[in-house]
Amino acid sequence: MKPAGFDYARPGSLDEALRLLGDNAGRGRLLAGGQSLGPMLNLRLATPELVIDIGRLRELQRVETTDGALVIGAGVCHADIEDGRVPDAAGGMLRRVAAGIAYRAVRNRGTIGGSLAHADPAADWPPVMIALGAELDIASARGRRRIPAADFATGVLATVLEPDEMIEAIRIPRAANAPRWGHYKIAAKPGDFAESLAVVVIHKNGAVAQAVLAGRSQVPIVLSETGRAIAGIRAWSSDQHAAIATGLDADLAQHGVDAQFSPEDRAIHLACVSRAAREAIAS
Amino acid sequence: MAKAGVGERLRRKEDERFLYGRGQYVSDIALPGMLHAVFLRSPHAHARIKSTRKPRGREARVFFAADLEGVKPIRSSPNFPGFKGADFPVLAVGKVRYAGEAVAMAVAESPAAAEDLLRDIEVEYEPLDAVMDMKRAVEPGSPRVHDEWTDNVFCEMRFDVGDFEAATKAAKHVVTRECRMNRQTPMPLEGRACLASHDRRTDEVTVYVSTQVPVPAQIGLSSFLGISQRRLRVISPDVGGAFGLKTFLDGETVAVTWAALHLGRPVRWIQDRYEHLVCDANCRDHWYRITGYANAEGKLLGIDCEAWCDTGAYSPWPWPAGIEAGTAPSNMQGPYDVQAVRARAMTVASNKPPVQPYRGVARPGVCFAHETLMDALALAVGCEPHEIRLRNLVRPEQMPYRTVSKKLLDSGDYPEAMRRAVQMIDVTAVRARQRRGEPDGRRIGLGFAAFYEQTAYGTGPFGYSAWGIELVPGLEPATARLTGDGELVVDVGVHSHGQGHETIFAQIASEILGIDPEKVTLRYGDTSISTAGTGTYTSRSTVSGGGAVATACKQLKAPIARIGAHLLQAKDSEVEVRDGRVFGPKGSVSFAEIGRAWYHHPEELPPNVDPQGLTAVAGYKAVDGGVFSYSAHGVVVAVDTDTGAVEILDYVIVEDCGRMVNPLLVEGQIIGGLAGGIGNALLEESVYDERGQPLSATLADYHVPGASSIPDVRIAHMETPSPFSEFGMKGVGESGAIGPPAAIANAVNDALCPLGAEILETPMTPKRVLAAIRAARERR
Amino acid sequence: MKVTLKLNGVETVGDVEPRTSLGDFIREHERLTGTHLGCEHGVCGACTVLIDGRPMRSCLMLAVSADGREVRTVEGYEGDAVMTAIRRFFKECHALQCGFCTPGMLATAYDIANRLPHADRARIRMELSGNLCRCTGYLGIIDAIEKSLDHIHGTDRRTRKEAS
Repeated sequence: MKPAGFDYARPGSLDEALRLLGDNAGRGRLLAGGQSLGPMLNLRLATPELVIDIGRLRELQRVETTDGALVIGAGVCHADIEDGRVPDAAGGMLRRVAAGIAYRAVRNRGTIGGSLAHADPAADWPPVMIALGAELDIASARGRRRIPAADFATGVLATVLEPDEMIEAIRIPRAANAPRWGHYKIAAKPGDFAESLAVVVIHKNGAVAQAVLAGRSQVPIVLSETGRAIAGIRAWSSDQHAAIATGLDADLAQHGVDAQFSPEDRAIHLACVSRAAREAIAS
Repeated sequence: MAKAGVGERLRRKEDERFLYGRGQYVSDIALPGMLHAVFLRSPHAHARIKSTRKPRGREARVFFAADLEGVKPIRSSPNFPGFKGADFPVLAVGKVRYAGEAVAMAVAESPAAAEDLLRDIEVEYEPLDAVMDMKRAVEPGSPRVHDEWTDNVFCEMRFDVGDFEAATKAAKHVVTRECRMNRQTPMPLEGRACLASHDRRTDEVTVYVSTQVPVPAQIGLSSFLGISQRRLRVISPDVGGAFGLKTFLDGETVAVTWAALHLGRPVRWIQDRYEHLVCDANCRDHWYRITGYANAEGKLLGIDCEAWCDTGAYSPWPWPAGIEAGTAPSNMQGPYDVQAVRARAMTVASNKPPVQPYRGVARPGVCFAHETLMDALALAVGCEPHEIRLRNLVRPEQMPYRTVSKKLLDSGDYPEAMRRAVQMIDVTAVRARQRRGEPDGRRIGLGFAAFYEQTAYGTGPFGYSAWGIELVPGLEPATARLTGDGELVVDVGVHSHGQGHETIFAQIASEILGIDPEKVTLRYGDTSISTAGTGTYTSRSTVSGGGAVATACKQLKAPIARIGAHLLQAKDSEVEVRDGRVFGPKGSVSFAEIGRAWYHHPEELPPNVDPQGLTAVAGYKAVDGGVFSYSAHGVVVAVDTDTGAVEILDYVIVEDCGRMVNPLLVEGQIIGGLAGGIGNALLEESVYDERGQPLSATLADYHVPGASSIPDVRIAHMETPSPFSEFGMKGVGESGAIGPPAAIANAVNDALCPLGAEILETPMTPKRVLAAIRAARERR
Repeated sequence: MKVTLKLNGVETVGDVEPRTSLGDFIREHERLTGTHLGCEHGVCGACTVLIDGRPMRSCLMLAVSADGREVRTVEGYEGDAVMTAIRRFFKECHALQCGFCTPGMLATAYDIANRLPHADRARIRMELSGNLCRCTGYLGIIDAIEKSLDHIHGTDRRTRKEAS
């Protein structure tokens, strides 16, 4: 299980990396932490002609807090978030989520930008960023653009990134009060890919709630009806679980994914969403 | 010297090298000029090979079946009634019969370069319908795995002992369950590996193989390569886990050995994880229908059982297709006093990799069947599950007890093990907790499993020899030699790959000779050192290999005593060997002085000295049919009926493996087995789609238990010596793996019972648990 | 391609294909075979080594990406008091059988000992989730790490955390 041959470049600056990527559009692959690309290379599921190592670019390591947002460089590794070396604009949720990604040895190397760009449906960051209303700063030698995290992934391992583009940073909006949140993950065992992953974020004293669902067989989807149901809840009771079930069914139908779920899939997703909601409400 | 004989919790001698990264596995060995082999794998589960083409300019580095001159297909020929042979080709011939089957071998200067070569090999296939379900496989009109067969059945065995008709007539309760134990893979952390090198001077091929069975590997390689055994030396260095998988001879090792001879250069193959999960032998894949006939009190009178195994495409060597299903009938009565068993064992071929024995062989499935039956019977009778077991277990006063299937259970108190498990798990408290309910809404369940583990067998009825299997374990050799400086070298034919033989065999030597275990070297895993012995499996090594070590050490006492007596100017009858010395009426001499005399001071030797010197060669044959460990497992689970998740809250094991050489290592074996059993029960499954494509091709999809999966188990030992073995030892290597699927299933079903739901399929994944709950709801 | 790194404190220069993993470089080029490759897709943890002091998967890192870094393998802990204690308790608690997962387990245990002095058994279990063992059933490993923490940080390490 060894990779096919490739050329390797480690540019010294972001501009140089973008130029290399632009010059090799379609035949180059970016390597940051390599925790997703590495297995694909080893299994020869990815056979790029050129690997561009952006793992040490300082421009991608920056973390800054502006008035409106926390900006996290795409090259920041999960462990830095887990350990609190990055401020948590989401009231502790970023740390919790980071700590649950794969294993420590993977978190020490895997990056937040790499995880988003890989767009694995079971990945932890995409639903979180969607629920938080984050935006992604996209860079290429041609210029910069900024798009909502919700519009980034277009399918399994597919995104809006052009072949010459990369994620430069993630912008998480900062509210006066940190949001209330809930996060629940169902996996065969700790560190495994999520069967179901739900994130619920409640803003503005409960007036608005965002619920996002993902999992290894489901790209992240925004659960609007479920979010509305959650927004109205003041305290948890079994009635609320039923309300969430109704909302979830409406959302799954609206996204056209209801038919692909077995009753058991649905039950697991429902439990996951309901528990995330319960945590958010109680927080 | 601290006490270090039999029964001590000695820390392992072998740990030192592993803790410093000095273990030596096959992949750690590199020879000058070494080439690397890789294999082209079939993308289809079932297809005809229409044409093949080698990469231009690299033809000499790529090999198809036709190129392997002199190589024979791997063949096993048991005497199972009606057995259809299915040669296991080293490389595919004409057809491929499972996805991942080796089609071609490529060699190059590095594994990566060899994999590059694979890209350029062209094979044209004509895909065929795949046989993927053992029940449909036996229906008329099913596609056939082997064109020359008339169906897909390797063999069908029937078994009828005791007066079954009388049992059914007398029965007041009749309960039936159907159980499915799905396909798995053994998943040792180190995959297979081999490195072959031809010595032109001696004309000997040395093959480093990651194997449990060095001498059988030598025999098999000789047979299938068509070269003499004297020209083959097999070395099995450190082995990174095996669990039964590494007993059978893989075609890759045959091909690589051929390549080393053909190319005149060393060739190494390191199986990668994808190959292990997809292309190597699998295990389990059983289905049972079991019916119990019991009297009003729940005393079992008879058992009727169907045992099926989907054993994949080929019959491997040395363990043929048929032994998995074939192991079921004679064990179906379990540790219970049952006087009639009727069974049918079906071994079915499919387009999957071959099934081979994995820790526990078929017995985790057998135990799953008889223990879910016991719980069903308890429900029918209306008593506690442990109570029904106590009514049926063989009693101590019946020992030694001949089962209706002719197995001789040698010793023990089976009911006492169950009573202790009941006490440890505190059934009363668990029942009270169940009545209270959990604050988080989960459902609590309690489950038990009782079973025996037949260990160190081979000869006798219903075993290897009775089945005409070419390799019959039984006689095991050991050589003990006192060195010139008074230390001990012991050579054995069993292999150690985690079991800790270097420690426990030194303890056995210490028990007999009083020598410090630190002064004992154990040598194994090299057919030029240990020229006989069939290796490590069947929980046999401590009993058989340890028995041989004990015998050799006892024999060695005589020449030691004689030389010692002479040095002490005493009569032979006046001296005693103990504590690493020979004691006479007036003083003592050390082993070092005795060694010195034999090796380089013949003038000090007695005139009647044994010319064999200070070397003792011994063989030890375990009793026909082996010795029987037994165990009671108890488990409490919490089932989340929203997510289907099962959490193990408490686990207790009462184990009796006779006299324990080293309780610390016994516990290590039990806990390790338990972890495998928990994987079997809850996590591990090799899944295939209908076309035979493997869906568990990486460890992201094949879920191996992690540290969080294993609870802090509590173990209690009983120690009833076997009357039939050295020190009363019994084997314990597989026991821990046998009980968990049954015990955990019973606990899950106890939790689900109020919902009317029952799950009898492993692994009990969240989706299966939820499906069982839904099925119960829809029935109502 | 040239790669220069510090391997167990020794300045090491290698010439590798870009596709060569750090694990293969350590094993095949430098012949330090204590680091084991168990899955080559980042799950089993046998290949875990310390890179600049942090545990990482050597099967998922290219050797050329490790250029300029400090790499520490199981062969590189001579005189290290923390690792000495961990090794002692691994032996004491029968935390290894076949030994194949052990080098990766030790790297993770070392990280736990240095980073999480207050870890309880549940936390140790979580931290071990990236290291598979097929022989021991993990309990000996968990015991060994717990005892190592007690030995290194004192048996009152958990209560001190509560007080602080």
